[in-house]
Amino acid sequence: MIPDESEPRRALIGEYVLGLLGEPEASEVRDLIANDREAARMALEWEKHLLDLADQLPAQSPSPHLWERISHSLGWLPARGNAAPEGWSRWWQSLGLWRLASGALALLVLLSWLPAVLEDDPAGASYTAVLQKPGESASPGWVVTIDSDGELRLTSLVEDEIPADRSVQFWTLIDPKDGPRSLGLIEPGTGTTLSAEQIGAVQAGQLFELTLEPEGGSPLDRPTGPVLYIGRAVLIASN
Amino acid sequence: MADSEFDYEGALEACARGDQGAFQRLYQHEAGQLLGLAITLLGRRDQAEDCVHDALVKVWHNADRFDRTLGQGRAWIYSILRYRALNQLRSRGRLVQTDDGFIEAMADESPQAEEQASDQSDGKQLRRCLSQLERPRRHPILLAFYRGLTHEQIASRLTTPLGTIKGRIRAGLRALQECLQHDSR
Repeated sequence: MIPDESEPRRALIGEYVLGLLGEPEASEVRDLIANDREAARMALEWEKHLLDLADQLPAQSPSPHLWERISHSLGWLPARGNAAPEGWSRWWQSLGLWRLASGALALLVLLSWLPAVLEDDPAGASYTAVLQKPGESASPGWVVTIDSDGELRLTSLVEDEIPADRSVQFWTLIDPKDGPRSLGLIEPGTGTTLSAEQIGAVQAGQLFELTLEPEGGSPLDRPTGPVLYIGRAVLIASN
Repeated sequence: MADSEFDYEGALEACARGDQGAFQRLYQHEAGQLLGLAITLLGRRDQAEDCVHDALVKVWHNADRFDRTLGQGRAWIYSILRYRALNQLRSRGRLVQTDDGFIEAMADESPQAEEQASDQSDGKQLRRCLSQLERPRRHPILLAFYRGLTHEQIASRLTTPLGTIKGRIRAGLRALQECLQHDSR
């Protein structure tokens, strides 16, 4: 697919740099740039010329928080209680507080809502997580159960109204280093079931949460909107 | 705005050695212009700031992979920002309503802009070369750069068949590279 001749190749790389190529062409050009110094040079040359267009735009002042956020992400600033860093670093920094509250409540709620889980064949460990409104430890909204086969069920206890132009997205976080992982969009008031393959191995303490996102889901690989419900997985049975 | 005094390559190499002060100076120097481009591409300031955040974190972590023998430091930084912004746009999967007035204006630019830009030195030839393209070839390239549109989206925006758009962009880029290389000789 990639032309051997220099000039058509340069033009194709220009299309790639502009973001015009679809798959599989984009991947082919990406591989070429990664492995061929001449192709990498051509790509940076296009980028250099395109700076002329970027510089036609007026600069915009970043919000004062942006530098602080970047410093946090690079691990240069210690987390400060009151400074409230923006974005997802804010919510996961406070998760330590969640562990106790949601763990204790999870067992209580479990007994009344989800007796079936305990009766499952204990082929593997099973877990539950009660998702509550942030800061309201007595407001369970959703329950996550992972049965001994590793299948996850998300069950709604509430009927929330969500604006028409918004979506509710389901996330999990195992290790803050890896960042959160989307488990897909959720219809408010209903539930969902995800297979063990979709979820992967679950650990005690693993975070689950629902966030309010733009219609169609977060444009990023992490939550961008407010947390609606949040909670951690608690081991309820193991063999 | 590009500043020929600022040593982008030196800054990136200092970042690769772990020099936080160099990164902060790079931020102070370039974040505003990066944000301007990100806002134009993404149409929303909050998402644009996310994009600049992600791109600059990546710049720091990958600074050791920058190689000045391959190209300019500033071009390298913008390649990371645009890649990030395009990914955001693609995963969002829908278009923000935007005012494309300035793109239309640039697409309509006559060779006066050419004269205006012609005394500029290296790195300033693109607009002059673009102004030499006919509008139907120039306009889709501007939409791709400023709005991150795909071939299909450009075809639909300009109500032109997809094959025609692809052909015009390809021909436009070929003509551009010819003009740019001629200039740099």
